Amino acid sequence: MNRSGAVVAATRGDPLIRLFHVSKSYLAGSYALHDVSLEVAKGQMVFLTGPSGAGKTTLLKLLFAAERPSEGQILVLGRNVGRLRETAIPALRRRIGVVFQDFKLLPRRTVEENVALGLEVLGTPPREVRGRVFGILKRVGLQHRRHHHPTSLSGGEQQRVALARALVNDPAILLADEPTGNLDPELTVEIMDLIASQAVRGTTVLVATHDRALLRRYGKRTLRLEDGRLQEDVPAGALRA
Amino acid sequence: MTRLVYRLVYLSRAALRGLQASPVTSGVASVTLAVALVLVGTFLLVVTNMGLLLERVGRDLAVTAYLEEGLSAEARRDLAQRAAALGGVESVEIVSKEEALRRFGERVGGAALLEGLEENPLPASLEVRLDSEHRSATAVRAVADALAGMPEVEELGSSQQWVEGYARARGLVRGLGFGLGGVLALATLLIVANTIRLTLLARRDELEILSLVGASRTYLRVPFLLEGILQGAAAGAIAVALLFVLFRLAVPALGDGLELFLGWSDPVFLPWGQALLLVGGGAALGCVGAGLALSGERLP
Repeated sequence: MNRSGAVVAATRGDPLIRLFHVSKSYLAGSYALHDVSLEVAKGQMVFLTGPSGAGKTTLLKLLFAAERPSEGQILVLGRNVGRLRETAIPALRRRIGVVFQDFKLLPRRTVEENVALGLEVLGTPPREVRGRVFGILKRVGLQHRRHHHPTSLSGGEQQRVALARALVNDPAILLADEPTGNLDPELTVEIMDLIASQAVRGTTVLVATHDRALLRRYGKRTLRLEDGRLQEDVPAGALRA
Repeated sequence: MTRLVYRLVYLSRAALRGLQASPVTSGVASVTLAVALVLVGTFLLVVTNMGLLLERVGRDLAVTAYLEEGLSAEARRDLAQRAAALGGVESVEIVSKEEALRRFGERVGGAALLEGLEENPLPASLEVRLDSEHRSATAVRAVADALAGMPEVEELGSSQQWVEGYARARGLVRGLGFGLGGVLALATLLIVANTIRLTLLARRDELEILSLVGASRTYLRVPFLLEGILQGAAAGAIAVALLFVLFRLAVPALGDGLELFLGWSDPVFLPWGQALLLVGGGAALGCVGAGLALSGERLP
């Protein structure tokens, strides 16, 4: 077990994510995240676990610059997120895919249109958009549902659409906040297999979950947060069932 | 460059989607704006027609210099030459006493009426016409002042006062139009701003997702600005169409009353340029309204 504040060595490749004594406070004296230091290497898959309110979501939000740290430094893809200008945030986010528990899909748009959002933002030509969207939907097994609206899909299918949207730009980092929180066990494995396969392709993956079965099943490096502090950094393989 | 074009295509599509998503709210905003633009357009129509009338009168604008009695033909010619040398004068016609009487006779309905006259009471005169660049009240006044300074000229007559009065009336109508238009524009600006603000709140989730996938603040804002522009332009087009229908209905119905007010029985509709100005003005109002809404809201 590593003490809070200890820098965890990267295990594979250069670290894409580095936190140095990071704290986040919404109210004076009360910390959502307190003195957290860690590194995550390129292509590494890491689980972020802990009870509700432990700071998992806050940590993920800091990584894609939805929040700014109150103290400490955060380096993501070589950029200091805390000092990033507002205008530079979109460029960072284009290299990070994010998946949420509640999918965050646009109900009025089709599956294809939802997935295409990240490509349209970049001004990708429509023909290329269609090709890449079809490709990623095929990978998550939803190419036949591309003209459907999210509301006509099951929870698992909706999460696969959200995953496709996060991956369509081939991001360097994939962040997933309780991606299987709304799914039954069978669909959970389906989604987690897709996420894990992305790490194999070289994407750095951080998954926030409090599902212990998942931690044991995949046996990846696990960071345990409690009351905003990093309590434990379990290396890959140590939790394998 | 190509990517910018594609971005614009996607943003325009997003704007159209936005309008489709809330057709009633957008429609009400456009119609309200259209009503305001109809009022502004009405003033524009009146001012345009008054301007055309002034132009027409200006074409016939002449200064008549009545000459003192007993002036020799040579002296008249000399005077005519001096008058022709004045700035802005196109031509000078010498009207003898006899010619003046003949024209008067024609005007009042025949020479028989003048038969009882023992002597010709009309003075000889010079009719001074201005060139096209000087057919304005100011130029007329300048020429009249110069003629008044000539000792052989006894009296001056021109339509100058009427032209000046009419031009003042047109200025007043234009001022009223601008004033009322300004107030209405401000009111409708707030309506458009509130409509866009409602759309913005309704699409908060979409903005959040777009922001997550790396949309810049400009990318988030542009669809709303486009929506404002489209709403405004639609309002402008509706206003022009409404104005045209009202014009067609009102002109025959008002008949003589219109002639009394405008001094012209054949008013014309707004020229293309002004009709487009109304559409463009609506679009500009829509854009400013949307900008106002965006400036008051914090985007994700």
